[in-house]
Amino acid sequence: MEQTTVNRRPLLLSTTSSLFLVLWLIVAAFPFLWTVWGSFKVEADFFSRENWQLAITGLNTIGQTGSAFTGDGYQGAWIERDFWKAAWNTVIVTVSVTAISLVLGTLGGYALARSARRYTLWILITALVFRAMPHITLVSGYMLPFFEWNVWGALPTAIIVLVAINQPFALWMLHSFFLSIPKDLDESAMVDGCTRFQAFRQVVIPVMWPGVITTGLFSFLLAYNDFAVTAMLLNQDNQTMVPKIASFLGTVQTEGAVMYAVAAVVSATVPLFMLVMFFQRQIVSGLTAGAVKG
Amino acid sequence: MAEIRLNNVCKRWGKVSGVDNFDLHIKDEEFLVLLGPSGCGKSTTMRMIAGLEDVSSGEIWLGDRMVNKLEPKDRDVSMVFQSYGLYPNMTVYENIRFPIKVRKVPKELHHEQVMKAAEMVDLVDFLHRKPAELSGGQRQRVALGRAIVRKPTVFLMDEPLSNLDAKLRVSTRAEIKNLQFRLKTTTIYVTHDQIEAMTLADRVVVMNLGRIQQIATPTEIYDNPANTFVAGFIGNPAMNLIKGTIESGVFSAENIRIEGLPSQHSGPITLGFRAEDAELKEVQNAINAPVYAMELLGDSSMIALMVGGELINIKAPKDFRAEIGSQVSIGINPSHCHLFDAESGDRLSQDI
Amino acid sequence: MTHKTFFAFIFPSLLAMILFIALPIGSIVVQSLHVEHPRVLVEVENCGPFGCERETRVDTAATQALQEAQPMGQFNGLGTYFDRRHLATEEVSRIFSDNEGVADIARQMYNLPFYKALSFTLVYTFIVTPLGMALGFSIALAVNSIPRFLKGPIIFFSLLPMIVTPLVGSLILFWMINTQGVIGSNLQLLFDDPDLSLRASPLLTWVTLIVYGVWSMAPFSFVVFYAGLQTVPSDTLESAKIDGASRWERIRYVVIPHLIPLATFVALVQLMDNFRVFEPIVGFSAEANATSLSWNIFNDLRGQVDQQYSSAAATSVLTVFGVVVLLMPVLVRLWRDFNRKA
Ligand SMILES: Nc1ncnc2c1ncn2[C@@H]1O[C@H](COP(=O)(O)OP(=O)(O)OP(=O)(O)O)[C@@H](O)[C@H]1O
Ligand SMILES: [Mg+2]
Repeated sequence: MEQTTVNRRPLLLSTTSSLFLVLWLIVAAFPFLWTVWGSFKVEADFFSRENWQLAITGLNTIGQTGSAFTGDGYQGAWIERDFWKAAWNTVIVTVSVTAISLVLGTLGGYALARSARRYTLWILITALVFRAMPHITLVSGYMLPFFEWNVWGALPTAIIVLVAINQPFALWMLHSFFLSIPKDLDESAMVDGCTRFQAFRQVVIPVMWPGVITTGLFSFLLAYNDFAVTAMLLNQDNQTMVPKIASFLGTVQTEGAVMYAVAAVVSATVPLFMLVMFFQRQIVSGLTAGAVKG
Repeated sequence: MAEIRLNNVCKRWGKVSGVDNFDLHIKDEEFLVLLGPSGCGKSTTMRMIAGLEDVSSGEIWLGDRMVNKLEPKDRDVSMVFQSYGLYPNMTVYENIRFPIKVRKVPKELHHEQVMKAAEMVDLVDFLHRKPAELSGGQRQRVALGRAIVRKPTVFLMDEPLSNLDAKLRVSTRAEIKNLQFRLKTTTIYVTHDQIEAMTLADRVVVMNLGRIQQIATPTEIYDNPANTFVAGFIGNPAMNLIKGTIESGVFSAENIRIEGLPSQHSGPITLGFRAEDAELKEVQNAINAPVYAMELLGDSSMIALMVGGELINIKAPKDFRAEIGSQVSIGINPSHCHLFDAESGDRLSQDI
Repeated sequence: MTHKTFFAFIFPSLLAMILFIALPIGSIVVQSLHVEHPRVLVEVENCGPFGCERETRVDTAATQALQEAQPMGQFNGLGTYFDRRHLATEEVSRIFSDNEGVADIARQMYNLPFYKALSFTLVYTFIVTPLGMALGFSIALAVNSIPRFLKGPIIFFSLLPMIVTPLVGSLILFWMINTQGVIGSNLQLLFDDPDLSLRASPLLTWVTLIVYGVWSMAPFSFVVFYAGLQTVPSDTLESAKIDGASRWERIRYVVIPHLIPLATFVALVQLMDNFRVFEPIVGFSAEANATSLSWNIFNDLRGQVDQQYSSAAATSVLTVFGVVVLLMPVLVRLWRDFNRKA
């Protein structure tokens, strides 16, 4: 009880602070909830010219489809406009990018963490500069060579490019995670009869899982959220979800078709929702891991 | 089983020198202790033997093999680390089995060998636990068990007891000594604790600032320190060292005068003697100084005196009492005195 | 670790970065020094039933051949950098010699594509970064003092704007602020102006984009600052309390100094991220009123008929230059630390 009286905040301050938080929560969450709700309406309701409240009441939706909610947007996007294919491409791209990034990143990050030589610093600085490059500037360097070699448009091309773009970040992050694992561990493994690589594989990696998972999450996000690379390097057939959504915007003219885009946007957001839900701890720890070291 | 030779081994990082010109021959089955203050290069020496650190110059021989270029795994050594280096994701059993597993010992021998090692270090009841579920002393024993599960040429131990509490340290020390006696494996043991060094070692190597100061048996190091560093490092309390001058066998400094010393030296000199070699008696030939402080240790009393500008310690019977400031006289047998060069600190010959 | 082991471990990663980051940067530098071949034109006589006509046509085959012989195009030196679409040196000197005051200079410069993009990019970067950090810090302070069981859900919702795909996030907001969307129509009601549209004027467009930027950037600062607040030494806080510091003074003299290193880190990351602002412009279809350097490159590359590789490359090189300037303080500091150690 002592404690609480000492720490009690002035009423005014705590009210302002709570109000502020509520306001922020609305600002942060309302757009998502609103769009999810609206994706089950027809265009005349969600983008109503007369009255925005139609989006809530759904009068036109009832008028056009007979019920207050409709899956027409989803049906149109996923089936008519082949969004399922884009989703499948996204799965291929994100899974491959995450897996390859982690393999390369753990190897490199381990080397950077365990070698005390000067060139490690240079590699880290270079990686920092690379990390800051806007992706689209790199993309403009790929286009011509990729056309020349005839690899433009294919999924593996985009995957490799995304892996490379993700490397600077993965190296930094994994490097700082490896630094937190005592050197004694790999050294005793090497004395016990392992090569450097066996020590890395059998002894270090098993205790690195938290770091690997966190870095994997961010690699996944990079690949999933990318627009610059996937929009410019993939052809129509291989498009992933994000460029597909962008292409909806350009071509959708017919009445109601903008709802396809809304449905696609909601579909693309759902996996991210799940991700935050299940991996909130890792995401937070990942964001702060960089901060504490950097 | 093998002898180990280090020929003029040096370790440098750029301009920093970690180990300088380390020359040592370790006999088969010997228990050798590297002793020295923190940062003197003990771990570096041991890590070079294990292959965890490259040698800048010089040669390391394990038995009849020059191992400078060999990977740690090819050197056939076992090592116990200060922080134990246990594999946190494996159970005690798997930890102990790891060295024989990666060295491709036939599977059917694993269980027997692990159990034998576990018995030796008294861990049979904990085999299924993870290291995080063990106490410090138990973890320490896992590290030992992992080291002895195969028969390596050399055991290397880097301050294996420093994370244990005082009581456990004493009992584990005895265990290590007993284990080495039974296994008869050449052992190099690093510590900065001189009691550990004195109790465990066949021979002690005292190091300072990357250089060897003295290599000798514990008794020899205690009785005949090679220089002022060793004299001031070994013993509790360390040897009293007094700067003064010697002239035809008579040493003198403020509050002190000792006759009957070897007469071939003259000029500035450092005189050393141990606290317990002084006698409380009224003699001409000795220290006459006021008491600076008294410490009652139970089995004895320690008198601190200001002599030659330094605080020195004298051991007195346990019932001795004196007021601070009161004058005491102390006699020292010249044969218990050690003479060191005032400049270099090296021991001077004492033949009369 | 020996050199050999080190390079064996880092080789795959290094190779990927060299091939797909270092080389492309080199490639855009070279590309920016070239221009596309002009089309080869031929005059042909076209004779039909109504007599002959002379007509200029593109000789596709010849153009193709030229293209194949020199895929990079013709060498052009620094020409592309100084043309109207980039640094526009001629136009700029003309504007400066012939203008009607500062406002006019600004207006005329804004009509040049590169300066239009640069001005928005810089304004966006240097407004969104501090505002986002301030908002994030406030949220962190507020969340820090609420009951424990509420923290999880609040962090969950707070993470959403950051984690959502930038293009998707900007579309979601765009649909809401649209004149037909919920925010847009309510603003019309509020200001009683049925023609009010956030996309109509450059100013409103900029404000909208910046609001989006702050919305999506604040969570990152929030999370980092919130984690930092957990590690504020409580001893220092308590002794400040005993010394009689007020709540604000405690924040000012204990909490903020503790968070300064984190703030530097956050600022660095956010500057890098904001400088590449691009998706919101696509999402908000804001290109009429606001473009960014990244968007200019995107637009050059996207051209359906002829992609302006050289123009894109020149803008890219200028952007890379901007990034390096932005990172300079950090690089200088790393360099100094390094020299001090050596
Ligand atoms: N990688 C390194 N680079 C530069 N100097 C080093 C490096 N490793 C160790 N040193 C230096 O070499 C000296 C010897 O270090 P070492 O670890 O061998 O000391 P130690 O005798 O084991 O000390 P302790 O009892 O504290 O373990 C120290 O002064 C240390 O600062
Ligand atoms: Mg050591």
